[in-house]
Order: sequence, then C-alpha cells, then structure tokens
Amino acid sequence: MPEIRVTPLGAGQDVGRSCILVSIAGKNVMLDCGMHMGFSDDRRFPDFSYITRSGRLTDFLDCVIISHFHLDHCGALPYFSEMVGYDGPIYMTQPTQAICPILLEDYRKIAVDKKGEANFFTSQMIKDCMKKVVAVHLHQTVQVDDELEIKAYYAGHVLGAAMFQIKVGSESVVYTGDYNMTPDRHLGAAWIDKCRPNLLITESTYATTIRDSKRCRERDFLKKVHETVERGGKVLIPVFALGRAQELCILLETFWERMDLKAPIYFSTGLTEKANHYYKLFIPWTNQKIRKTFVQRNMFEFKHIKAFDRAFADSPGPMVVFATPGMLHAGQSLQIFRKWAGNEKNMVIMPGYCVQGTVGHKILSGQRKLEMEGRQVLEVKMQVEYMSFSAHADAKGIMQLVGQAEPENVLLVHGEAKKMEFLKQKIEQEFRVSCYMPANGETVTLPTSPSIPVGISLGLLKREMAQGLLPDAKKPRLLHGTLIMKDSNFRLVSSEQALKELGLAEHQLRFTCRVHLHDTRKEQETAVRVYSHLKSVLKDHCVQHLPDGSVTVESILIQAAAHSEDPGTKVLLVSWTYQDEELGSYLTSLLKKGLPQAS
Amino acid sequence: MDPECSRLLPALCAVLADPRQPVADDTCLEKLLDWFTAVTEAGSSLLLLQENPCLVELLFHVLKSQDLSSRILSFSLRLAGIFAAQENCFQYLQGELLPMLFGEVGPLGGAAWTAPAVRSGWIQGLRTLAQHPSALHFLAACGAVDTIFSLQGDPSLFVASAAGQLLVHILDLAMRGPAEGRRSLQACDWPACAQKIVGHIEDSLCSTAIPQVTQALSVLTTAFGHCHGLWTQGLWVRLSPLVARLLEKDPVPASHSLVDLLLSVARSAPSSDRGLWETLAQTLSHLSPTQAGPLALGILKLQDCPQVLRTQAFGILLQPLACVLEAAAQAPGPPGLLEGAAGDSMTVDTLLSSKSACVGLLCCALAHLGLLQPLPQRPSPWPQAPLLGAAVTILRLCSGSAAPTSDVGGRLCAILVGCGRVQRAALDFLGALSQGTGPQELVTQVFSVLLEYLVSPESSSMVLKKAFQATLRWLLSSPKTPGCCDLDPHTQLFLTELLPVLQKRLCSPCWEVRDSGLEFLTQMTRHWGGQAGFRQALLASEVPELTKQLLRDPESYVRASAVTATGQLSSWGLCASPECPGAQQESLLVELLHILSTDSEGFPRRAVMQVFTEWLRDGHADVAEDAERFVAGVLQAASRDLDWEVRAQGLELALVFLEQLLGQRGSHCPYAEALPETAPPGVLAQALQVLCRVQLFEFAFRALFDCDRPVAQKSCDLLLFLRAKAAPCGGPQEAGDSPNVASVEATLQRWQAGEQGQPLGYLEPGAVVALLRSVDLEGLRDTLAESSDHVEKSPQSLLQDMLAAVGVLGENEADCY
Repeated sequence: MPEIRVTPLGAGQDVGRSCILVSIAGKNVMLDCGMHMGFSDDRRFPDFSYITRSGRLTDFLDCVIISHFHLDHCGALPYFSEMVGYDGPIYMTQPTQAICPILLEDYRKIAVDKKGEANFFTSQMIKDCMKKVVAVHLHQTVQVDDELEIKAYYAGHVLGAAMFQIKVGSESVVYTGDYNMTPDRHLGAAWIDKCRPNLLITESTYATTIRDSKRCRERDFLKKVHETVERGGKVLIPVFALGRAQELCILLETFWERMDLKAPIYFSTGLTEKANHYYKLFIPWTNQKIRKTFVQRNMFEFKHIKAFDRAFADSPGPMVVFATPGMLHAGQSLQIFRKWAGNEKNMVIMPGYCVQGTVGHKILSGQRKLEMEGRQVLEVKMQVEYMSFSAHADAKGIMQLVGQAEPENVLLVHGEAKKMEFLKQKIEQEFRVSCYMPANGETVTLPTSPSIPVGISLGLLKREMAQGLLPDAKKPRLLHGTLIMKDSNFRLVSSEQALKELGLAEHQLRFTCRVHLHDTRKEQETAVRVYSHLKSVLKDHCVQHLPDGSVTVESILIQAAAHSEDPGTKVLLVSWTYQDEELGSYLTSLLKKGLPQAS
Repeated sequence: MDPECSRLLPALCAVLADPRQPVADDTCLEKLLDWFTAVTEAGSSLLLLQENPCLVELLFHVLKSQDLSSRILSFSLRLAGIFAAQENCFQYLQGELLPMLFGEVGPLGGAAWTAPAVRSGWIQGLRTLAQHPSALHFLAACGAVDTIFSLQGDPSLFVASAAGQLLVHILDLAMRGPAEGRRSLQACDWPACAQKIVGHIEDSLCSTAIPQVTQALSVLTTAFGHCHGLWTQGLWVRLSPLVARLLEKDPVPASHSLVDLLLSVARSAPSSDRGLWETLAQTLSHLSPTQAGPLALGILKLQDCPQVLRTQAFGILLQPLACVLEAAAQAPGPPGLLEGAAGDSMTVDTLLSSKSACVGLLCCALAHLGLLQPLPQRPSPWPQAPLLGAAVTILRLCSGSAAPTSDVGGRLCAILVGCGRVQRAALDFLGALSQGTGPQELVTQVFSVLLEYLVSPESSSMVLKKAFQATLRWLLSSPKTPGCCDLDPHTQLFLTELLPVLQKRLCSPCWEVRDSGLEFLTQMTRHWGGQAGFRQALLASEVPELTKQLLRDPESYVRASAVTATGQLSSWGLCASPECPGAQQESLLVELLHILSTDSEGFPRRAVMQVFTEWLRDGHADVAEDAERFVAGVLQAASRDLDWEVRAQGLELALVFLEQLLGQRGSHCPYAEALPETAPPGVLAQALQVLCRVQLFEFAFRALFDCDRPVAQKSCDLLLFLRAKAAPCGGPQEAGDSPNVASVEATLQRWQAGEQGQPLGYLEPGAVVALLRSVDLEGLRDTLAESSDHVEKSPQSLLQDMLAAVGVLGENEADCY
C-alpha cells in the first residue's frame, strides 16, 4: 500500500527548529533545516543521525526545501550540507537565497567569534552551501527529477517566504512554513490554490489566538516612540538585520514624514544596507501598495533613517536607533543598551522573542538589576517594552488556508502541544478531515490510493459507442476490456486486441456440472427426453439434438451417460462457457428438478 | 553549589512543582539538567540533596501532582536519574522515590505515559542511573527491562532508539564488573539480567516481523560498536547462527541493519574468526548490488581480512562500473575492470530496471570507490586505468557525447543523459583519481572530458564547480617534465584551451559560476604563479583583465573572490601588462584601498585585508616600496570599519608589521615560555617612532575596548607582545608623569566606559611605553578569555531568569522570529 510518511526532527509540538522529513512515493524530502538559538552546543541543530543511519545522505534525500530565511528554518543548513555531508540540491525562493547568507553570517559571528563556540560553520561553508541552492519562482513547477516536482506559493510572513507543494505522480503534500493570511506594511497575504493535497503540513504558532489588528500594535508602537522622543529620551530597538527591521523602518519613516519630526533615526549596521538593497531588488515580493507606489517612490529608500556611527550613541538629545543583534546577545545593541539603560527617559522596545541566556530575555521578564562582567551591576531605569510584530497566521487564518487548499489530511507543526490539540479538534470538526500533531521523532503514516494512468484503445471505445450509449462526463460507466502492461504502460484494450498484441491463443473455459437422473432407460433415450423437455421449456433458444446423441442449447452441451454403479441412474454431463453462465446455471437447476414423465 | 544558587533553588522548585506556572523557555529545563549534571560530577549528590531538601520534595511533589506538564515530569525523571547515578545517593532514594518514579505505580502506568517526552525522560533517567550493581537489582525488581523491550518499538524514533541503547548499557553493566574475567563464554552462567536481554534478542532475531529483527540487529550493532569486554565474543558465538539464518531468507530481512551489525562485529572481532568471514562472504553474495555496496566498502576498510573476501568485496564495488565500461565499449579493447567476469547480470538488471535504481547504484559505487582511493588499505593492484576509463565513460554518457553501439549502452545513455546527480558523483570520483597516474592517452581523455563539461552550456553551476575542482586536482598532479621545472607539454596545451573557457565562465550570468571560476584561478595561480608556461598562457588571455573587472561585480561573494584572485595574481606579477608594470600595480593597490573604504559589504573588505596582510608578509614590491605609508593607510581605513572581522584583520596586519620591525614573536609551543625576546634599544626607539607615525597605537588602544570580543582580544595580545619587546630595557625615555600621558590615560578610561568619540591624538614613543606599563593588560586578557555571554549563561543567571519569567509568560509566550 503506498503511503506518505512524515517525521518531524524539529517543530513537532514545539516552536524550536523546524526540520520535517517527508517520504512520498519513495522520494525523501527535508522541509526546512532550522537551528535553535537557545542552545550553544549540538542541541541547537536537529539530530541528523536518524537520517545518516539510512546510508549516505545524498543518496537518501532527494532534496531539501527551505521555506524562508529565519534561522529557525534555515540556520542548520550550512552545518547539514558542509559538515554532515549533504551534497544534493537545496530549493528556496530567490529572496531567501539572497538573504539567508546575511543572517547565517550574522549568527555565525555571534556564535563563533563572540562566544568562542567551536564546531560551527565558517563563512566559506556558508558560501559553499549557498552554491548548492536552486532558486525557484512563485507558481513555477520545478522538476527535481523525473518524478518529483515542487511548486512555491506566496506565504507573506517575511520577504521571500513561500509555501511549497511537493508532488510525485498524483500524490502531493503542501508545507506552509510560516505564513500570514493578512497583509502588513510591506508584504501581502499568503495564498494557495485549491490544490487538494493528500496532506497539508501547517504551522500553528497562534493556534488558539485571534490576533488583534496589527494596526493597533503599530499605533501603540508609534505612540511609545513618539512620547519618548518628545520628552528628549532615546529609543533603542534591537533587531535582526532583516525582516522586522524593515517593517518598523517603513512605519517610522512614514510617521516621521507625517508628523514632521526632526529627531534622528539611525540604523546601526552596514548589514542593513544590504538588507534594504534586497528589499528594493525584490519589490515584486512585497505588497500591492508598495509595488504601486514603487514608480513614484521606493518605500525602502528612507529619507529619515541614516547610518549609525558608534560616536552618535553619546550625542545628547533624542534619537531612535535600530541595532543588531535582536536579543541583546552581544555587540552593538548591547553596548548601546548599557549606555542608555540608566536613564529613565530612555526606552528599549523589543520587537521579537528572546531566548533565555540573553539580556533581552532578562529585561523582558522584568529583571532590573543586571549583573555584568566583573560583578558590576547595571541598573535598568529605562522603560522596557515588548511588542510582538511576528507575522504568523492566527487560528482564523489557519482555518482559512485549510479551507482554501482543501487537503485530505492536516498535520500541525511549529506550535505548542496544548494549543495544537485545540486547533486539531476544530479542524476535524469543521472540515471532516483527519488532523495529526506528531511530536519530534514520531512518524505519521498516511495510506494513499495510488492513481495509475491507463490508456484506452480507440477500438474499445468505438465498440462501446456502437452499443448506442453516448458518454456522459458526469456519470461513471462500466467498461469491459483487458488490461495489458507493455513498456511500463497500462492500456485497456479489447480481448481480441490483447490476444493479437501479445501473440496468444484464446483458451476456452467451460463450466461443467453433473446432474443425476433416475431413469432406467438407455442413455440415448434419456437424451431424447432431455431434448424434448428443453425444447418445450426454452422456446426462445436454439435447442438441438446432435447426431452423436448430445443436446445443445446455445453453447451449452448436455450428454447423457450411464452410472457406473447404479444402472437405474443416468448422469447428465452439462458444460457451458462463461458467456452463457446464466443460462448454464438455469439449465442445471432445471434438470436437477427431473424430467417430466412421458405421457 | 554556589550559595546564591542554593538560595534561589527552593523558590525555583516551588515554581516547577506548580502546574499553574508554565516553564518559560523550553531550553531552560535542559540547561538546568546540564547544571545538575555538572554539580553532581564535581561533588556528592547525597550531600547536595541533604543540603537542598527542596529537590527531593520536588520529586515527591511531582509524583503526587495530577496535572503537571509532561515536560516537568520528564525533567523530574531525568533529574532523579542524575542523583541516583552515585550509589550512596541511589540507596538514599531507593526506598520510596525511585520505585515510584520508575516502577509500575509511577508515570509508567498513568495517562502521562502517552507523551513521548515522558517515555524519553523515563529512559534517560534510567540510563543515567544505571551506573552501579545496585541499579541492576533495582531494574530487575521494578520490571524495567520488559518495559524497555516494548519501548524498542515505540512510535517515536527518539524513544525507540534510546530504548535500544539503554538495553546495551544494561547488558554491558551486567556483564562487566569483577566477575567478567572469570565468566565463561557460555551464556548459561551469565547474570540473569543479561540472559533475559540476550534471550529477547534471540527471540527477535527469529521473529517473522521485520521491525523486531531490525531492533535486535541495531541493539547488537550498538553492543559490538561500544562494548569492548570479552563477553561480546561469547555473545557473537551464541547469536551468529541466528544471524546467519537470516541470510537464508529471500529477500534478506533488514539488510541495512544486518550490514551495520556485521561490520560492527568485524571491526571488533579477532581476525581469526573464520565463521565471521564466511558469513560476510555469504552476505555479499546474497544481497542486491545496491545493498551490498556499503558492506563491500566496510570490508575493504578493515585492517585484517582474508584476501578472498577483499577480492569479492572489491568486485562488488567495481561491478557497476564494469557494466558501464562493457556496455559502452565500441570494440573489444583492453581488459576491463573485472577480468573474465562480464557484467554481472544482477547488476545489469539493476542498472536498467529504472532510472532511480541506475542513478542510485552508480552514485553509490562512485562514492564508495572515491572513499577507498586515498586509503592505505585500498586493494592492490588498484585498477587505476580502467577506473579512469569508467569515470570518463560515465561522464560522456551523462553529457550525451558517448555513442554506445550495444543495446545496454544505448539504454544506459538514455537513462543517464543530463543526470546532474551522476555527473556530480563522477566528477568527484574523477578528482579523487588524480592522486594516481594513468596512461597518457587516458589522461588526455580526462582533460578532454573535463573541458567538455567546463564548456558545455548544459552544465549546472554545481556541476561546473565540481568540474573546476576536478580540473584543479588533475592539473596540480600532472607530472613535471624531467629536469625542467616547467609544465609538461600536454598540460601546457590544455592550459591554452582552458583559459578561454575560464574567461567565458567569468562572464557567466550566474554568480555561483563566476565565483567558482575565480576560486579556481586563485588556486591555480597560488601553485603555478612561478611557472613560465602558466604565466605566458595567462598573460596572453583576458583572464587577468576580467578578474579585475569582477572587483566591481554586483554580488559581494564574487567581489571578495575577485579581490583574493587579483591579490594572488599581483603577488606573482601577473596583473601587470609587460609594458608598464608600475602603473597597473599602483592602480590595483588604490582600487583595493577604495574597496576597503567604500564597499558596503563585509566579504570584499575582509578579502582586501587578507590580501594586504599577505602582501606585507611576503614583501610585495609595491608595499615594500613604502611600507609605512601603506600600513598607515590601511589601518586608518580598517579602524573605521563596521565589520569587526575587518578590524581584527587590521590588527593581524599590524602584528605582521610589528614583527617586521621588532622581530618574530616567541614560540607558540605551549610548553615553552612564550615571551618574545626584547629588541635592542636602538631598533626599538626607531620602531616606536614608526608605529606612532602610522597611528598604530590609536588603532590598537581603541580596539582594546572594542565591543566585539575577538578584536579586543587580538589587540590585547598585540600590546602584550609590544610591551614584552619594549619593557625590560629602558628604551626611549619614559614619560610616565608627563601631561600627555595623563590626558591619554583619561581618554582611555572614557573609551573603556564606552565613549569612544574623542581621538587619542599624536602619541610620543615615551608615552606609549608608559601607557603599556600602566594599562592592566593581563587583567584584560583574562576577562576577555571568557565568552561574552558568560554572565548570562551562568547557573545563577539561569535560575534568576526562570524565577523572573513567572507571571510575565502570558504576554510573551510562543512568539518566535
């Protein structure tokens, strides 16, 4: 029985590092290859030993697909391809291919050089890994090999994020990666056609949440920044080089323009110039509004946002600074934080999630006295705000996508078990499809019905037509024929054609039956009695008495013979072909009742 | 345990035991367990529990609580295992707690058991706990072994695999110990626990259910791979007949696991075991060509192994290539890969059965032979020539340039044409074969097929990359003409054909191809920059000019590779046209400096710094002309750079300059005193003057307080080196009390505090020496040696974070990037 198997190595009932193995019609695909930023040892990567056990990686896996550039989806890729040894193709969209190395490089620097971690990939490895990438366009069907094909759909979430349909023959799986069903400042909403996959693997970060309007959060953000700047304070926004940073930049840029504000806004790192460059380059991936206004003015060419110099941090007066890295791990954002933390007029806004072991995590959990190096204590007097701008579909959005794609089954990943449980029930109730939520390491197996294409010979169809029934597209009809397999193709042909093509002779298959009659007369006389009886009963059939003494009715042959042991009993040997099966059965039952007494 | 941690622990235990308080971050519990492992490894667990009764209370509480999360339950099981790993602590917990946690009455029988995290925690807890004989009795008493048996078939891969490993661990623990030496190989006098496990393995091996056979085989593989006691021999004696019986089945069940097991046994068994070799030979002949490949490779990697078996194994690896050679042969030629044996029918069947089977078998064979090639124990004689022929043939079949006349050849051609996977594998293999020699005719064919791939518009970027790599390997291994240091005529001829192709590839619209071309050029120049033939061919081409143009490539990776390539070309004088060498070189230096100061991305700037450092180290003519001006210019640009790797590379360059002025650093031998010798006073004074003029100190002192740790570390090392060179001798008149020094010290303090706006100003050599003495460089070095987040990573910080997260979780939970 063909089946689809799915095993999450990461993102199974957690929001850690996405890595999902899918086996479909004998093809093995890895969906995402993420990293967990909360660990600084091998636990940060998915445990690939479960794949390497099956032999050489490149032979086992047909391809790797990356949904978007966030590190929890692509962070382990250079490790997997350059250190574990995967040498096959990696598919992602063009913006993801362009932006991935920036974030990987960003994180490599933090991990290896600042924290001194060993066993981490190098810049050269990132480059070599990116050379294995095959870029895909939206809605373009890419043939991985003769049987396996993939197709990307727009996912919103971040620039270049895509959902992927994986298809082998008539079996298909859709993997959403992270997606957003509502457009935001710079990106559009996710969309997929009614592709009716066997399985939809969807993220479920906000499985139980109906999120408030993003506009409210944006207003709140602008209000807080504005108030701080108005009272002469400084605002620090720690960000990763790409993604949320651009969204917030557009927000502030338009607000500054509208309010005619003069306080400077800075971006702290050279990396972001490249990031903005990519946003300009991939305008078609942004939302309709940006695309429309692009001709008059590119939204990513910021008038108010300038490059940051380290000396600016000490300048008096209000300012807003975007600085990397996003969790206040180290580097510039942390350095600026230390300078500004002591002043209650200042504010730090954390626009995303922070893992334990970072200063970001500490201040978000309300700690205000931070121990620094050398037993120094940093007192945090500045205001600390958390604002989630992460762009995931909420419960409503997930249901909307399921409705849009009409899958046969749904599998939830990238979420918390309890919330998944709730959503699972909702999906099962509303759509009447099975919903699964495997933990990491658990395999879900779905049987699929294979669809085998069969060609039908024109002769056979014509013969059916000749029988007078016109075909009706809406009504299935029974068609008899012989299925032959030649050169790995199936064809339905008439039995005569099959015999001819295969060079075979037809065998006659006859059914036989013995009927015992109590009759003391000779065999010939019994045969005559049988003939007369049938002749009288079967008026519409051709009943013949042959010279050799046997009786025929159509293809049915009846012979009378003496019983070897009992002279008072005659045995009628009845035989017929399968074409006359009905008549044969009728005759035997008729004869079993006995012959009428001679008058 | 740190007193502060001890103080925080009761509160934390209370939080963990409270089902209303979800745990902040899924990594926290893992980190907490790491910490407890470290604490118990350093001291007594019993003492730890006695001093911190909250820990035992937590474990009791977990058992009583009905609505705890599976994560906390799993954590508690693992925690108990960590404590009970020490025998006296085990005794302490054994009475009540351990049976309740790990026995039938515990989570094992409850609803929580459905969560894979709990089952995993149960196994991991037992795995950690099972370190002493008392643990074995406990396992037997609570019936744990039967549960582990059933967990081998768990729906979670992680749980199932951990269960198998735990069985091996228990088996090893039972068999080790004082009685091990006296224990006979007869299993009947083995401990009861071991007998039970072995009995279970025997049953599984006889089972008709393949998953059970697989489980048994993988347990045995782990046992032979990880346990080295004498008992493993006895185990093999007992089980080998059952394993051999698997081979009688058709198809052989769980073949992959069987191969793993046999190789694991072969690696651990004494070489005199004839039975084992026979089983291996039998397995080789029973398995399909695809299944047998990994086994054949494994056998050939073994140190001691009968020659007959090696020949059989090598035959299996060669078989697919032999078939290809035979199918593609135009006419009866020289003997093929396998003397006498024409393509084995099973291999031919596999090759022709489907595209995926053919591609899979060929890729495996090529990869296996490629791995074997460099090994000292590879088969001898090594059929270098037929292998080369096979690799070339496969590549030609893939490119469609082969015209086989046989039916099989034609079908292979149809299957392989345009197949990128086989192309990549064959190019890797061809590159590996460059380590051996071959008849000139074949080598010519190798170069010709490589050129064909480099030229072909059909070649994908990955195929081109591999073609470049294979070409490089063949070029570098090509023989030198005897008595002449120049390239041999064939190579020379090839170069003239290759360079126009490279030229074309450098103009490819695909950045990956341009980059691979540049990497190839850099490597070739590094090795052959001095060869007249290479120089002549290169200068006659447009490659140097194109390389220079790529300094302005839109893709930063390509710009960086172009910087490295032009740097290398320039080092060998290959950038300049013969007419006016000076002008070209000068412009390159200026251009690279321009990239350093203006390129918006880090990679090209980093590459420039590497080229400059190399130039300075190797005494590049244009640098040597006015090294002082050069260093001053570069340091000025590097000091302003936003990319810390550029700044760190700037310090590397500064160090090279220092060494040139003052002499090498001391030995790096860890056992030797690493202090450099001091410089003579005259040299030192002069050197310090130069260093002050190039503003090296401004750069180094600023870097000392850089927010990026590696920069500060490097600067600290540099200044320590300088101080050691300068300090003992009086050197220039020290100016410790001068106003200049005082103001500089004040500035440095501000820098340390994070205010780096103010410049240091011009420094006198005397002031520098005084400063070097006054700054606590050793102290700084020690501080910098710790990772930049060591405070946040400390156990105390972890406990504080977990406590602080209580209550604020609702707002921030489950968000992500």
